[in-house]
Amino acid sequence: MYSIETRDLTKSFVLYRGFLDAIRRSGNRDILTTLDKVNIKVREGEVYGLLGPNGAGKSTLIKILCTLILPSEGEAYVNGYDVVKEGQQARESLGFVTTDERSFYWRLSGRENLQFFATLYNLPQSVVRSRTEELLDVVRLKHRADEPFYSYSAGMKQQMAIARGLLNDPAVLFMDEPTRSLDPGAARNLRNFIKEKIVGEKGKTIFISTHQLDEAEELCDRVAILDEGKIKANGSPLELKAGLSQGCTLGDVFSHYTGKASLDEQSTPFPVNIPRQKSRGRGMGRRRGI
Amino acid sequence: MIFEKAFWFIKKGYMLQLSYKFDFFLRLFFMLFNILTYYFIAKLIGDGAAKYLEPYGGDYFSFVLIGMAFSGYLMISLRSFSESVRDEQMMGTLEAMLVTPTSTSSIIALSSLWNFIFASFRVLMYLVIGILLGVDMTRANIGGALLILILTIICFSSIGILSASFIMVFKRGDPINMLLMGTSELFGGVLFPIEVFPSWMQSISHILPITYSVNGMRHALLQGYSLGELAPELLSLVLFSIVLLPLSLFVFERAVLKVKAEGGLVQY
Repeated sequence: MYSIETRDLTKSFVLYRGFLDAIRRSGNRDILTTLDKVNIKVREGEVYGLLGPNGAGKSTLIKILCTLILPSEGEAYVNGYDVVKEGQQARESLGFVTTDERSFYWRLSGRENLQFFATLYNLPQSVVRSRTEELLDVVRLKHRADEPFYSYSAGMKQQMAIARGLLNDPAVLFMDEPTRSLDPGAARNLRNFIKEKIVGEKGKTIFISTHQLDEAEELCDRVAILDEGKIKANGSPLELKAGLSQGCTLGDVFSHYTGKASLDEQSTPFPVNIPRQKSRGRGMGRRRGI
Repeated sequence: MIFEKAFWFIKKGYMLQLSYKFDFFLRLFFMLFNILTYYFIAKLIGDGAAKYLEPYGGDYFSFVLIGMAFSGYLMISLRSFSESVRDEQMMGTLEAMLVTPTSTSSIIALSSLWNFIFASFRVLMYLVIGILLGVDMTRANIGGALLILILTIICFSSIGILSASFIMVFKRGDPINMLLMGTSELFGGVLFPIEVFPSWMQSISHILPITYSVNGMRHALLQGYSLGELAPELLSLVLFSIVLLPLSLFVFERAVLKVKAEGGLVQY
């Protein structure tokens, strides 16, 4: 059994351009396919990276695996649980680290935040207390635990997000661009922390999305290159590079498989090149899943 | 486990409320202003409306105090669930909660708990201030009043859950909330007895649950009606609850599935 497995996983959204479209929805809609028959298999204890530009479908894939969005077609399993039919069991066995620092209550302390979220994981109160203290120790924030969350630095907030992701001692930890809002020094510290503590000491399976090549190369046992909703390549960074000419970089690998100049240049804020099955008019409008 | 979760949601609500102390005292201050306004209006009216107020004990201030206090539950029930969804969406905390094994419906119900406790505190304050200003509740049937209160919360919360379903799907522009908020104060007998209306307007009042709720509460608290005498209001509220509760839970479940498919659960 794999820790994470998807079979022909597809997610499409319907784009509406306004109120009138919602009324006239039949026969007048644009389809935006953000994931197109994605197949991945992640082994237990592996650090698996999802590499792709903004809008490639990385967050959509993670949200489907975390049961926050339903897929349109295909199947997805986390720790053997079907994310659609066995959502609750899947959620019990996974942790999710989001980059959004607003996902905490800013006027509560770090400790209170962790205790609150721990209760939602159905942990008995004695375990809530001990797990919170243990994780504050792990993320080295015990000395600031009673201060309001808003007083923490960006790096500390991200450490707290990781602590929250580990509250239920999950077998699989999903991390959606965990270093996105950090400066290079804080990002390096966080990568070291993930490598030493989460992977080295706790031995978790990690599924990490990133658009930073160095991060993928440094952290991941295997990476998948996701572009325009499709997996373009899959393997260890060494294997992927060895498949091309000697001395090439992961950036070259990305360019080779996607036909795009470099990952950074492709990091546009909107998915402008996503294929549409049917198109009328212009503009992104609002999207609805199907 | 549900009690531990409820405890933490209430604690979170309390701590967040405490961190906005000025807002808390401002609300209490304007509540007092509101009560005093109607106290002096009641003085102005005197016995002038005795004909209409006779079925409710005869005193306008007592009538309007109970109406204002308990219509607060309607407002909280209607708005609380949808506002909880929206507040958590806007704060950015909803996604982090939804990725836990706690179900979406539990999260939304528990998120509203603090609002109901705060509403109950407001009702208590209304009653205490009312008693200090001379409202007579010595004959109150507390058991009957509690029964009406429980049915009121079930009935109004069902409407609130329907309203939250609309908010989740459409984000704004919930017709249930707008319709009931707009009509309840006018037709529900909150500020004046429905007997003032011509008969065709009274028939509108009779299809609104708030009419039975505030009238039942007046009969129980001011006139000390027995459970038998409260039966018309109790049975009406039970009927509303039987229809609205399963309907609202069904609609809410469909709404959650729809927004999960659309990926719009955390959008606002």
